[in-house]
Amino acid sequence: MRTTALPVPEATRPRTVVVGALLGAAAAFIVFAGLVSVYVQQRQAARAAGTEWFPEGSVELGPAGMMMMTLALSMVTVQWAVQAARTEDRPHGFIALGVTLLFGASVVNQFWFVYADTGFAIDGGRAELLFYAVTGSFVAMLIIGMAMMVVATVRSLMGPFGRELAHGVQAAAAYWHMCVLSYFIVWYVVFITK
Amino acid sequence: MTLTEPAIADSEASLAAGGADAPSASTQPVATHPVLAQPFVTSDATTVGRLFVVASLLLALGTSVIGALLSFGRTEAVDPADMFGGLNAYFRMWTLYRVSFMLLVVLPLLLGVAMAVVPSQVGAGNLAFPRAALASFWTWKIGALIVVVSVFAGGGWGAVDGVTGNENDAIALTLLGTAMVIVALLVGAVCVATTVISLRQTGMSLLNVPPFAWSMLVSAAVWLFTLPVAIANIVVIYADLRGRPAIAFGRAEGPDIWQQLDWLVEQPAVYLMAVPVLGIVFESVGAAVGGRTSRPEIFAVVVGLFGLLAVGGWAQDYFTAPQDLRDGLVYVAFGLAAVLPIVALAGGAGELVLRGTATPERLLDARTVGAGSALKLLGAAALVGALRVVEPFDLLETAATWAVFHGVVVAGLVAGVTAHLTWPDRLLTGSISQILGRGTVVLLMVGGGLLVVTDLISGFASDDQDLMALALDVNVTFNVINLIGSVLVVAGLAAALAAMATARRTATVTGRRAS
Repeated sequence: MRTTALPVPEATRPRTVVVGALLGAAAAFIVFAGLVSVYVQQRQAARAAGTEWFPEGSVELGPAGMMMMTLALSMVTVQWAVQAARTEDRPHGFIALGVTLLFGASVVNQFWFVYADTGFAIDGGRAELLFYAVTGSFVAMLIIGMAMMVVATVRSLMGPFGRELAHGVQAAAAYWHMCVLSYFIVWYVVFITK
Repeated sequence: MTLTEPAIADSEASLAAGGADAPSASTQPVATHPVLAQPFVTSDATTVGRLFVVASLLLALGTSVIGALLSFGRTEAVDPADMFGGLNAYFRMWTLYRVSFMLLVVLPLLLGVAMAVVPSQVGAGNLAFPRAALASFWTWKIGALIVVVSVFAGGGWGAVDGVTGNENDAIALTLLGTAMVIVALLVGAVCVATTVISLRQTGMSLLNVPPFAWSMLVSAAVWLFTLPVAIANIVVIYADLRGRPAIAFGRAEGPDIWQQLDWLVEQPAVYLMAVPVLGIVFESVGAAVGGRTSRPEIFAVVVGLFGLLAVGGWAQDYFTAPQDLRDGLVYVAFGLAAVLPIVALAGGAGELVLRGTATPERLLDARTVGAGSALKLLGAAALVGALRVVEPFDLLETAATWAVFHGVVVAGLVAGVTAHLTWPDRLLTGSISQILGRGTVVLLMVGGGLLVVTDLISGFASDDQDLMALALDVNVTFNVINLIGSVLVVAGLAAALAAMATARRTATVTGRRAS
């Protein structure tokens, strides 16, 4: 057999969807980093001027900690979904994607509670404006991540649960991990150090 | 079908498939669409790239006309504020000119060239995510339309003389359009970068990709690290503004909004437009003289270094005291170091000429002239940028800022024209004649050069810091020279569009005769 007749070996480069998702996630993270930078700079300026940033006791740590725990758990379930997609394990894949979506929805719900609990108004001052800008952007990013999960779930319902889908789930998972990392920053900067 | 494969591949995309072992070369059945429907349904990267190129060059013509009017306003023939109908209107045009040249002209022009050229360079059948690329074009187009219309409707990036009526709503609309344009450019950049990373020919390492493909990979990375910061700025401003009187960041009574975003068109972020220029210059010289570099890895390092120096989201003087930021070691080092990669690239281009066939005919080839002109303008801009950050010259916050801007912008325009001379089959389907090509490039280079020189002189001559540099403060002669520079840029762009239209028409007629 001539060597030119040999089949072309499969490319071993990272898959296109995953690479695209990683680049997109990086861009989204930079948006978030820019927002947090403005937040931190303005808070430092307020403190340097002797001005109170948030009124004492207005921002509770409890719900924020719960959200951190929820999102930390979602990192496990999203990896479970990736593993299930790789091994073509449809039942586990559905459960993992569903639980991750549930965790995401519960975080959005907890943010709703936080907004009601703090009673902040978006035009109540620089601190309240930036509080909404930073956390609202995070919620928007999380909802985009949930939409990616929904697409992966729908595609798995409509087609084979195989290698191609695994790349889609990996891409959604990469974005999801970026969201959790972003929330970790929010948790530390906005809720812990206040 | 995977997420990466187009549902419908146009004929040209199939022809462009580099080889059988391209990782994701399309094997889909070929389908054609009516010519008028193509811009809305095509999944061919070449077509999307051409759409970007044509739309951005048309916007370039309009923007350069605004630039000529602004230059005319700086002469003493007319009061600049009266010419546009008030100080706010002048400010709107002044800011539109800058934002438009960056986000609506040079970045999309170079992105369009990349979409058309890079897939075939790396041996990919098509661009990664071709539908996303088409979506990015239309998002950019609609965003650009929103920006232009809202600015003319009283919006823009803030005001200098208070706002009246619904101008807050128009400003909010401008911010929305700006964010759309940036998101679209980022999506396009992700498509190009993913193509280079993931769809290049088997056996082609990242450091072995052609110079332009490498420069676009670096550009995409730098855009991804810088442009999202502007989106963050816009989110904060928009959250405050939302069409009503703002409390902090969205105040339109003064130029606060512009001052939060002007870092985008100043050093170092202004070099975002320059990174792909290096790749075009290198490839054009190589193609013209038939030379190949002996050390391609040095080119890769030089472009990577220049890309690093273009990351600019950190240099925002609105949130830091300007003197703290701009007297800082990092800012000064970035400004000074930007000269080095351009000098190194000039050396590399010189080596190409020495290793190639350096006959007078090839040295005067339109591609060589174009590449040389782009490099000279970029070098001039970087040199002025280096002077600008040296404290004794006191050039910060003066018109020298716009000397750097003009140098980089016109270098980008020249590189765009040179790309059409180097890859006519990918961008035009026909070749631009040598005379038209050289004429266009020379017009742009002389015009850009005059703008750089007069802005620099104005920077040295001005005693006080003037946001809009309404006058050159030297004498009328320099103001008139500045105006001549602006008019030459308009003429150069008009010539470029005419040359491209002629080349395309000639190719179409020849094709019809042949068939």
